[in-house]
Amino acid sequence: MSWRRIVAMAHKEILQILRDPRSLLVILVIPLVQLFIFGYAVNLDVKHIPLCVYDQDGTQTSQDLLKHFQATEYFNIVSVLDSYKDVVRNIDHGVCSIAVVVPPQFAEDLHSNGQAKVQAILDASDSNSATIGMGYSQAIVQTYSSEIQVDWQQERGISAGAPNITFEPRTWFNEDLESMADLVPGVVAFVMAVVGAFLTSLTIAREWERGTMEQLISTPVGKLEIQIGKLFPYFLIGMADTAICAGIAVWWFDVPFRGSWLVLFGCSMLFLTVVLSLGYFISVTAKSQLGACQMALLATFLPTFLLSGFLFPIDQMPVVVQWITVVLPARYYVSILRNVFLKGSELRLLVGDIAALAAIAVLFVVLATRSFKKRLA
Amino acid sequence: MNANEHSVTVENLTKKFGDFVAVDNVSFEAHRGEIFGFLGPNGSGKSTTIRILCGLLQPTAGVARVAGIDVAKNPEAVRQHIGYMSQKFSLYNDLRVGENLRFFAGMYSVPPREIPGRIAWALKMAGLQGRENSPTSSLAVGWKQRLALGCAVLHRPPIVFLDEPTSGVDPVSRRQFWDLIHVMVHEGVTVFVTTHYMDEAEYCNRLVLLDRGKIVAMGTPSELTSRHMKGELLLVECEPLGTALEQLQTAPGVLDAAVFGNSIHAVVANAEEAIPGIRDFLLARQVRVARIEQIEPSLEDVFVSLTTVRGSSSPKGVAA
Amino acid sequence: MLKKEFIQTLRDPHTRWLLFGPALIQMFIFGYAATMEIKHVSVAVLDQDNTQESRELVSHFAASRYFHVSKYVARRDEIRDGIDRGDFLIGIEIDSGFAQRLRGGQGASVQVIVDSSNSNTALVALGYLSQVGATFAQNYQVDRIQRLSPQSVLFIPQVTLEERPWFNEGLLSEWYFVPGVLGNLMLILIMNLTAFAVVREREIGTLEQVMVTPIRRWEFIIGKTVPFFLIGCFDAAMLSLVGTFWFGVPLRGHIAVLALGVMVFLLAALGLGLLLSTLAVTQQQSMITAFFFTMPMSTLSGFGSPISSMPPFFQKLSYFNPLRHVVLILRSIFLKGVGLDILWPNMLLMAGFAALMLTVSILRFRKSLE
Repeated sequence: MSWRRIVAMAHKEILQILRDPRSLLVILVIPLVQLFIFGYAVNLDVKHIPLCVYDQDGTQTSQDLLKHFQATEYFNIVSVLDSYKDVVRNIDHGVCSIAVVVPPQFAEDLHSNGQAKVQAILDASDSNSATIGMGYSQAIVQTYSSEIQVDWQQERGISAGAPNITFEPRTWFNEDLESMADLVPGVVAFVMAVVGAFLTSLTIAREWERGTMEQLISTPVGKLEIQIGKLFPYFLIGMADTAICAGIAVWWFDVPFRGSWLVLFGCSMLFLTVVLSLGYFISVTAKSQLGACQMALLATFLPTFLLSGFLFPIDQMPVVVQWITVVLPARYYVSILRNVFLKGSELRLLVGDIAALAAIAVLFVVLATRSFKKRLA
Repeated sequence: MNANEHSVTVENLTKKFGDFVAVDNVSFEAHRGEIFGFLGPNGSGKSTTIRILCGLLQPTAGVARVAGIDVAKNPEAVRQHIGYMSQKFSLYNDLRVGENLRFFAGMYSVPPREIPGRIAWALKMAGLQGRENSPTSSLAVGWKQRLALGCAVLHRPPIVFLDEPTSGVDPVSRRQFWDLIHVMVHEGVTVFVTTHYMDEAEYCNRLVLLDRGKIVAMGTPSELTSRHMKGELLLVECEPLGTALEQLQTAPGVLDAAVFGNSIHAVVANAEEAIPGIRDFLLARQVRVARIEQIEPSLEDVFVSLTTVRGSSSPKGVAA
Repeated sequence: MLKKEFIQTLRDPHTRWLLFGPALIQMFIFGYAATMEIKHVSVAVLDQDNTQESRELVSHFAASRYFHVSKYVARRDEIRDGIDRGDFLIGIEIDSGFAQRLRGGQGASVQVIVDSSNSNTALVALGYLSQVGATFAQNYQVDRIQRLSPQSVLFIPQVTLEERPWFNEGLLSEWYFVPGVLGNLMLILIMNLTAFAVVREREIGTLEQVMVTPIRRWEFIIGKTVPFFLIGCFDAAMLSLVGTFWFGVPLRGHIAVLALGVMVFLLAALGLGLLLSTLAVTQQQSMITAFFFTMPMSTLSGFGSPISSMPPFFQKLSYFNPLRHVVLILRSIFLKGVGLDILWPNMLLMAGFAALMLTVSILRFRKSLE
């Protein structure tokens, strides 16, 4: 192995990267843009759900109930309706996501036989918000219900008290339940995966397409030297990106950082190795740049977005899909990142993830190396 | 420095792509300080052969030895001893001239101390001094080829393979390019060249004529013209050319006829006997004859006749 | 021109597969993966009271389909460790004295420790927790009153909430996500293909040859666009079939409206991709620039996180994003069954975007080598 040849290879690759400043700029800016979007725009906390009210009873009692809905910040009453048709229209148009309908005999029913019902119509096309909204509504109605019961007991002089169960949630790691702190580490992984694989997926395919590969392989340079020389600049870019993202997360977005920087950078290097080797492998097998790009996207964009556990929890997925995530390096990296940023757990708890990541790294590097042949046919 | 280091030996080399036989049982030897030419029309297997010799393709059968090393078994070992210039320009357009040179110097492991000197030498040889910082994409084709040659010989290899190095280059640049080759040869480099330009073939020490994968002739240029020409050659200047050609092809005693520039070359068994007969033949068919005389066959004539004789359907050549 | 494009794209079997394979695969996997429902969340219980009441409470949790009591621990630090390791998401601590307080008619509290590194799951889980707790409290209360003054038990007032989820009665995540995945896949596919369209020829060198012919700018652009448009339509149809027949997402609206929405969207995506293609010099540039746009577009499309939860600035920004409109349209047509009368503003915005992009592309594309 000749270091000089590797250096020459890396040098050329760097020159080519620098000669395309547009791409370079975009590479450095994409992570920033994504971070900001996730930091500011994406908000998984569901609040201010638009709510419509259709009060068919119109009594003091029903108004009382509805005031409960008004008082909470989870809901935002956008209109008060007076016909069922209006309700349908509002939900169809998406003006409100939930419509609370109080039936006409509400107060009477409550006083006469003690059982009264309220309807909540949910636009479940967004099933997630609907589920959460339903939860909130249930909680509100149950609170109202117990209040009624307490009043009723007092009237009758029954001192049954008001036992209720309150939960004191101690949310760990992400005290404000702010989705940002939770997402930002994941964004780092996401961006790393895509940018890394994307960039390197073009490197070999491009030389084939342009014809320079033939000349290159006629020289004594070894295939391992080519691989290392070509990937090294992208490795540097990747680490720079990671550092920038981590820095912004901690200092701009105030995401806590409770782990060790060493672990962060060590694991990032591992992850980068995986991602770059994957890109290299794709570049070798897809002979055209277009093909390489498509494959890189297929292998990284949606998988990392949806399956790495960064946005959607893995243990909630169907078992088959969970098995698929076992071979997904992003899954381990996201877990490590979450630990390093939010949990600050000891190293021994991370061993499993790190080992998995390392194993995958070795696999991909071997795959990449073996796939490239210094031959035309 | 043993003579082996400079030689290229090929025995029964065959290369098939599926059912298509690109190179068919080819054998030859090239020696130190020779300009060895590989001549033939497009698709004759020239590029394929060179690529096999560079270790870029695996032979289907046969042995190829470059600098004494079996190329099929040990392609990597060969590469330090050879320089290769591919048919399509394959240097990096987005790098500058100097950067390309430096890169290939690195690829060929030229010792760092010697790199500036070699690069200067390559620039001088290619006539590109002072243009190290020009982007490669801005060079005209002729200059690009010279740069490519420079990149291929930075490590002073004993054997150099050039695949159609002057295609697309103007005649003046072509001559200058061949001057460069002669300089290298003078220093003892074995140059292996493929070309489809017949006039360039004259510059070679020895030639191999390839047609559809097979060797149809091998030898020095003069050997080829004298030995392989079947019959003798007549130059016929006449008008109209088209009619004359048609008629001559069916004329008795005419083995073959082809257009060369403004005249027709006709192959006959015996020139002196044939001349009067042909003149009469043509005049009888309303062809005005300006001149008929015997000429020495050129390589092109040889080639056209050889490929025609083999019964191919290759078109009667027009001079390149 | 059209023919050449078609032949080029379809000839290479590798490319052919790329046109349809990845989209299909992704559709399947992500339809299943993308889920924000919670089921069987792992819970650990530390019951230091060990009374009938406390066990009753715990059995309420165990019975709920949202939770799965995975472990009964004896010490508090076991809970901590378990959450750290990710063994379970929630730890419930019932202090001794729990039952006593309840019997005394007082409120009792239970400590819950939640691993909220995934805040969404934590939120949803907490919501369900309080529901289970409230149910328990309610039942307990009724019980008490029954024992204390049995005759009044019939009159215990209670207000209950009837839930009527519309359009997606089962509240299935798949129904929510599948239209979104469809939109995203189409965007990625089309943007990628078209981003390469012009640039590829420029880089390989065949562009020069084409430009010398008398073909006009708009003919050239249209020639490049139509094959991809057709491929996109085909893909969309294929994916819709998967959505409907495999995932069971109903199609309640008109197919015609769906088709219209899809086609307008495809044009918009095509337009954007083409524009980027004309701006780039190398394929790498155009790919990266396309990517620069698709990522934010995807995130801001309402696909994973609701637009109504975004700050106003981003909400306004999303109007310029055709993906946002098509996701809404797809969801509305599949699940809600609404028609053009409601969806026309979205369609119009998308169409405007498409027209703008295509026009600019045509203008920008100069028949010269620079």
